Amino acid sequence: MSGSSFWRRKAIRSAAFQGGFLALIVALLVGATLTARANLTAQGLTSGFGFLWKATGWEMNFTLLPATTSDPYWWYLTLGLMNTLFMGTIGLAGASVLGLGLGLMRSGRNPAARLLATLYIELFRNLPLILQLFFWYALANALPAPRQSIEVAGALVNSRGIYLPGLTIGPGSVALMVLALGLGFAALIWVLTARRFGRMESGPRLRLAWGALGAGVIAALVAVVAGHEAGTVWASFPVQSGLKIDGGFRIQPEVYALAIAIMTYGAAYVGEIVRGGFKSVPRGQMEAAGALGLSPWQVFSRMRMPLAFRAMLPILINQYVWLIKATTLGIAVGFSDFFMIVASSINHSGQTFEFIAILMGGFLIINFSLAAVLNKLNRAIALKGHQATGAI
Amino acid sequence: MDLTAPAIEITALDKFYGAYHALKSINLTVAKGEKVVICGPSGSGKSTMIRCINQLEEHNAGLIRVFGTTLDDSLGSIDEIRKEVGMVFQQFNLFPHMTVLENCTLAPMLVRKISRAEAEATAMKYLEKVRIPDQAQKFPGQLSGGQQQRVAIARALCMKPEVLLFDEPTSALDPEMIAEVLDVMVTLAQEGMTMVCVTHEMGFARKVADRVIFMDNGEIVEEADPETFFTQPKNERTRLFLSQVLGH
Amino acid sequence: MTASFRKNYFGSFGSSLMTLFSLGVIGAILWALVDWGILRATFGADGTQETCQAAGGACWSVIATRWRVILFGIYPYEEQWRAGIACLVVALVIVLSCLPRLWSFGRLSMIWLIGTALFYALMRGGVFGLAAVNEQQWGGLPLTLFIFVATGVIGMPLAILLALLRRSEYRVIARVSGWIIDTIRSLPLLSILFTCAIVLPFMLPGFLIGEKLYRVLFGAALFFAAYQAEIIRGGFQGIPKGQEEAAKALGLSYVHRMTRIVLPQAFRLALPATINQFVIAFMETSLIVVVGFMELLAAGNTAFKTGEWKFAYAEVYVFIAFIYFAFVFGLSRYGAYLEARMNVGHAKD
Repeated sequence: MSGSSFWRRKAIRSAAFQGGFLALIVALLVGATLTARANLTAQGLTSGFGFLWKATGWEMNFTLLPATTSDPYWWYLTLGLMNTLFMGTIGLAGASVLGLGLGLMRSGRNPAARLLATLYIELFRNLPLILQLFFWYALANALPAPRQSIEVAGALVNSRGIYLPGLTIGPGSVALMVLALGLGFAALIWVLTARRFGRMESGPRLRLAWGALGAGVIAALVAVVAGHEAGTVWASFPVQSGLKIDGGFRIQPEVYALAIAIMTYGAAYVGEIVRGGFKSVPRGQMEAAGALGLSPWQVFSRMRMPLAFRAMLPILINQYVWLIKATTLGIAVGFSDFFMIVASSINHSGQTFEFIAILMGGFLIINFSLAAVLNKLNRAIALKGHQATGAI
Repeated sequence: MDLTAPAIEITALDKFYGAYHALKSINLTVAKGEKVVICGPSGSGKSTMIRCINQLEEHNAGLIRVFGTTLDDSLGSIDEIRKEVGMVFQQFNLFPHMTVLENCTLAPMLVRKISRAEAEATAMKYLEKVRIPDQAQKFPGQLSGGQQQRVAIARALCMKPEVLLFDEPTSALDPEMIAEVLDVMVTLAQEGMTMVCVTHEMGFARKVADRVIFMDNGEIVEEADPETFFTQPKNERTRLFLSQVLGH
Repeated sequence: MTASFRKNYFGSFGSSLMTLFSLGVIGAILWALVDWGILRATFGADGTQETCQAAGGACWSVIATRWRVILFGIYPYEEQWRAGIACLVVALVIVLSCLPRLWSFGRLSMIWLIGTALFYALMRGGVFGLAAVNEQQWGGLPLTLFIFVATGVIGMPLAILLALLRRSEYRVIARVSGWIIDTIRSLPLLSILFTCAIVLPFMLPGFLIGEKLYRVLFGAALFFAAYQAEIIRGGFQGIPKGQEEAAKALGLSYVHRMTRIVLPQAFRLALPATINQFVIAFMETSLIVVVGFMELLAAGNTAFKTGEWKFAYAEVYVFIAFIYFAFVFGLSRYGAYLEARMNVGHAKD
């Protein structure tokens, strides 16, 4: 045989396998679609996305922006998405702060602190999140009735929720305020760690970092002022009147139970990741820094912390993406996150496929965009070449 | 398999890695019982060429025949050729989760379908030949580099191949262990095994080779018997290479 | 000894504070738990709401009276012994899977398949003179264990298949498999379970629809398979390329190469992550409650939400937590032990 006939066999095998594989997948998809269509028409349901503009007719129990029963589905879906992101952000932030503390305690020298952190982490990591959620929710519901509210520093706590003395501004402004603060904080971290600012002197760099945080704070204040209606009081305190509470700013049991559950559970995982990050900093580096005459705090802040942070970031990213998806558990306690809105919409409207497609699309977008943003952050602060793990 | 045909026939072999022309129209014939040593600078394509023979690399054009069987990319021809062509790697590549004995009996039992008893007998015979029968129940991780490479040779021999390919078998060994492996290879050569050996060990080449081939830049630059090759190299590039390798 | 003790615990002002704080917190929590859970608790099945609240501590009577509901759900009373044995069968399967002696594809598959068959026969009945009990009546711990076992039995072969497809030398197959795996992994498990429970019936021809339980199981298995496929892929990446080359050079076929050389090594490398994945799968069985199954958590909810035990949520949840914790902690400790053992025993070349 001559040289060119070489291609024949391989090409045939290749085409056969790949073609067959694709054909199988296409056949499954087409078959599913056709069956679905047949079943839907048999049940008299329409398909198409026109319903998105129809009024829902049912209520959401927690929204960041105003919503009524006559609002269209697309508005509800948007609010649900906002709720998911809102809960995810709070959960993430809380878990990070608490987890950082736990990780530091675990990596420190004090055995008592290590023990406490270990007990916490092992306890919260080895129980299912939904069990923890049910527990917090049952606890929230077992609080006394509004009549016998517990008072804690001006706030009232009872089975209908936590009533905080609040600024009389709309929930949207609250969200904006939190967002502004969050961005300011993120900017602070970015300035302090990104390579782009590596050339700056430490003095101006610190000032820039604090300035970024300050800008966030000012933006938050602006949001507060903008959300305040002229003529009303600035703050309202919860006051018991009859069977209910007037005034104040109410956090529903579903909301804080889910938030607490995600934070405490997430903190256990973040704690482990933080510990792993610290563990990966080679001992030799810290000893060298010490030998150069740096104080323990300097060794920590300039050597250990930055290296540990870079090592743990990729794993943290995975954990954050997971935490956002964990907000779907809200349906178990009635928190109207994106998933619950979709599930309720399917129940009420019967437009099963369209909503499932929206659900999957929504989560795919959340997943990929979050991963993209965080990976960009990771690349921005990563050390060039191999991470300084001491390995060649 | 036609054992009267030449052991290996390579005609106009071309190989590309993307745009990089790794092998440029190679022609090579190896007769049965012949021992061929291939040397050359790294990147010259020598490993690539012998890896094309048992299709660990796919060639893009040209013809490869082993004992008359053409290597087209049908699964049948690849399987047939791999049965008769054994290979010893630079990194030994012993299976770490199996004992030495299991390493040697695996392929004969699964591919040649012989019984376990027969496979183990054959394995012990070859382990004795490479002088480590007592390590049969050990795991590769417990052996030294030299021992591992000898097990690798025994493993290849257990398939009773007609041709043995060696891809820099001693390059990953500590100096004191090179001799034990080369000794085994010399024994095999003297027993009449057809061998194609990519190596830098010129002493071995002098002792055992029927032909020494120098490759550079994807081409065969010079081919000669060892005596001529080492004392009167014809090509300038060969001379340069020899001076670098033999000089230190 | 005292010198280092002082240095570690009270080395600096901050450290001393930390020690006091930590020990204080641990002590306070421990005391509260002992006080609530043991000292002032009411054990025994004859406690009632009044007696419990009079004592002020935990009311373990709810467990004493309701443990059958919590553990077995609405499984028929007389047949609950079968459910108990079925749970033991699963426990045995898991313990056997942990013994390195039995780690070959053949033996592990046998153990899991026989275990599943036994479990099924015991729970479903209808054979060997056992009364038939429909899947809809399965509940509590056996249901949790069943979901876990089924997820593993269906999910692991699926994971191997997906991992091999993703590794294929044919670009189209590799890429499409990659998309499938990545898509499944980006979705929350709950949405997949929900889709399988509610949406899938529309897309399947009548004969395939089957029980909701099996559809949901398939979804859980698929989710497990997507994650496990990536773990196996990580294992593949740790195997030196020469291993497969040596196998090819010896003439081994694709199937033999994979089953004897590549997959065993990949699994050894991926073992800690695989055990972790199993632990997560066990914890995630609790999500089934959302799609309407009465596994352990849901059974616990019914135990205290109905009747006079409404206040005893903490006791019931603590009881359930013990069960989960025992299994999850045990398995993850075992995983850590294995990992340490593998790192030590791995002889360096």
